[in-house]
Amino acid sequence: MKQFSKILKFELTNYLKNKTFMGVTIFLVVVLAAIMFFPRLSSVFKSEDTAVENTSEDLPVMLVYSDTKEIAEAVSEAFSEAFPDYSVQASDDNLEEVKNKISAGDAECAFVLDGLSSYTYYVNNLSMYDTNTAVASEVLQSIYRMSAMVNGGLSADDASDILTAQIESNTVNLGKDQMQNFFYTYIMIFALYMVILLYGQMVATNVATEKSSRAMEVLITSAKPVNMMFGKVIASCLAGLIQLVAVFGSALLFYQINKSYWGENMIVDSIFNIPVDLFVYMLIFFVLGFFIYAFLYGAVGSTASKLEDINTSVMPITMLFIVGFFVVIFSMTSGSIDNTIIKVCSYIPFTSPMAMFTRIAMSTVAWYEIAISIAILIASVVGVGVISAKIYRVGVLLYGTPPKLSAIIKAVRRK
Amino acid sequence: MVLELKNIEKSFGEKQVLKGISLTAEGGKAFGLLGRNGAGKTTAIRILMNVFPQNGGEVLFDGEPIDYNKVNFGYLPEERGLYPKKKIFDQLVYFAELKGMKHADAAAAVDYWLSRLGMSEYRNKRLDTLSKGNQQKIQLITALAHDPQIIILDEPFSGLDPVNAMLLKDVVKEEIQKGKIVLFSSHQMNYIEEFCDSIAIINGGKAVLSGDLHGIKRNYPRNRIVVRSEQSTLISSEYGGACVRGEDGELIITLSSPEEKQSVMKHLTELYDIDEIKVFEPSLNDIFVEYAEKQI
Repeated sequence: MKQFSKILKFELTNYLKNKTFMGVTIFLVVVLAAIMFFPRLSSVFKSEDTAVENTSEDLPVMLVYSDTKEIAEAVSEAFSEAFPDYSVQASDDNLEEVKNKISAGDAECAFVLDGLSSYTYYVNNLSMYDTNTAVASEVLQSIYRMSAMVNGGLSADDASDILTAQIESNTVNLGKDQMQNFFYTYIMIFALYMVILLYGQMVATNVATEKSSRAMEVLITSAKPVNMMFGKVIASCLAGLIQLVAVFGSALLFYQINKSYWGENMIVDSIFNIPVDLFVYMLIFFVLGFFIYAFLYGAVGSTASKLEDINTSVMPITMLFIVGFFVVIFSMTSGSIDNTIIKVCSYIPFTSPMAMFTRIAMSTVAWYEIAISIAILIASVVGVGVISAKIYRVGVLLYGTPPKLSAIIKAVRRK
Repeated sequence: MVLELKNIEKSFGEKQVLKGISLTAEGGKAFGLLGRNGAGKTTAIRILMNVFPQNGGEVLFDGEPIDYNKVNFGYLPEERGLYPKKKIFDQLVYFAELKGMKHADAAAAVDYWLSRLGMSEYRNKRLDTLSKGNQQKIQLITALAHDPQIIILDEPFSGLDPVNAMLLKDVVKEEIQKGKIVLFSSHQMNYIEEFCDSIAIINGGKAVLSGDLHGIKRNYPRNRIVVRSEQSTLISSEYGGACVRGEDGELIITLSSPEEKQSVMKHLTELYDIDEIKVFEPSLNDIFVEYAEKQI
């Protein structure tokens, strides 16, 4: 135990003294600070801008043209309300002049009406996000309906009441709000993905470096392989958590400072108001998921004699993880979160950290299902840990080409 | 302190590397483990240090099966290497702590050894900034700092200049005098001959020869004498076929029986101008070649 804590301390300080580790952490904190302060900064700029700009002259011009002048005027009045970003003007010119004005840049767009139920939209460059026609159609539709109802004998007030009637609706959610939980599930899955791939690689490299520098010759005769393996993996897990706490903690801090500027942003709000129980599950699955993969990476690192070999050796583990990742991401976005694949995945130890957490966050899962999943995961972590320590003990003394999987299994069994 | 290996067997897959090795090393003496490349010395050392278990046989310490929680080993592996990018002091303290030392004791021991080996100026340098010989001295500290009962040195002299080799010899002699068991593995026979009281030669997974070096040498038939003289041509013409010339110009005369030794020596010293005359004893080199030449 004493030896284990020495190894843990040594490995952890290695991470914390590592320039890349610190650099990446600081970089992420700075990026998050920039994002979190963005609304405050932009509101400063905006308030300066609006003082200068608030005259209608600077707004782009929208022309409304019709053969019937009354229609043109009535419609342009309605459009002025519907398009607050435009200066809507009824045009007296003929069609050719309207087109010329648009080409020359004097006006941005024009609606040429053939009565109330048909129009042509002229625009110089049609933007991908141009929704003017949709808005215009809606406005024209209600004008048309209004006039039809008035013509049919209703008073203008009644007609407007009918047209603006609102349906009141309430939603009572008895389970989970998938929309709200979507974001932190997404963030957790992504954080797990990033951290496991990054730190898994680091554990593998760490072991392979010790092996290739032959420091292993002394280490293996000084410390128990189980202590070495668990020390390394737990140290990397702590380093990962420290990094995550630094990054998300600073994000939370910056958010609190700028809370008023973010206003009622639902996404940001839901991220920072994660329920406590979900946060605890997140932590449990994160740590266990991290362990099970870090052990595998460590074991694989011990079988590589050169650092160059690592990338090919860790490939199967990375693939296994990525498959699990995509199963979860597809299920999340498909809308049917409780499909069979994800249910199965939520019990398989290599995918359950992501799959079970997603199910807990986005649907309703019975407590015993969670308990079974966590129990399987914990047992697997211990099992994988012990097996990796055995592989490690055999692997670190093998030099030359990386051994085949079958050879490793044989060697471990013999012990 | 007595360390015994009894009938140690070890196989890797189909290949049996050790086929029942037995040897005994005592405290206050140095033991030489010899063998050609790939004979199984490193495997034997690793089993001794519990890196992996043997398939058969046992390791005894003072007659009892060895308890690895109580017996402390210091090991200088043949494949040298520590953390290249770490500060020397930091990693030496770490290794000493892994062996069970408290931090303060470890730091004090490391400082003592750094100054003992004249390496104090490198205390806060990174290992990869040192020359190879100096790195080796640093590595030696990992084997000694925690004051182990058993010290295993695999090719300790390779790569050291004569001054450093002398320093290492002094250090090793000190450790032997403290009553520790020192196990040498080397191909440099002169060093083994100088240090080791007992040896074992491993060939084909067995100890083909083991025991007290002096005794081994005396067991060779004492029917040859070595003669150095300015008049060697005259002597060799007298003894004819029984006389061969050695590598350094000395004459080796083979007698028909060891009993003749005294009379022949008397005869030679009376008749010729003799610089040196003694009974021929084989060097360790000769013994090694004899026992390890054929790979079994």
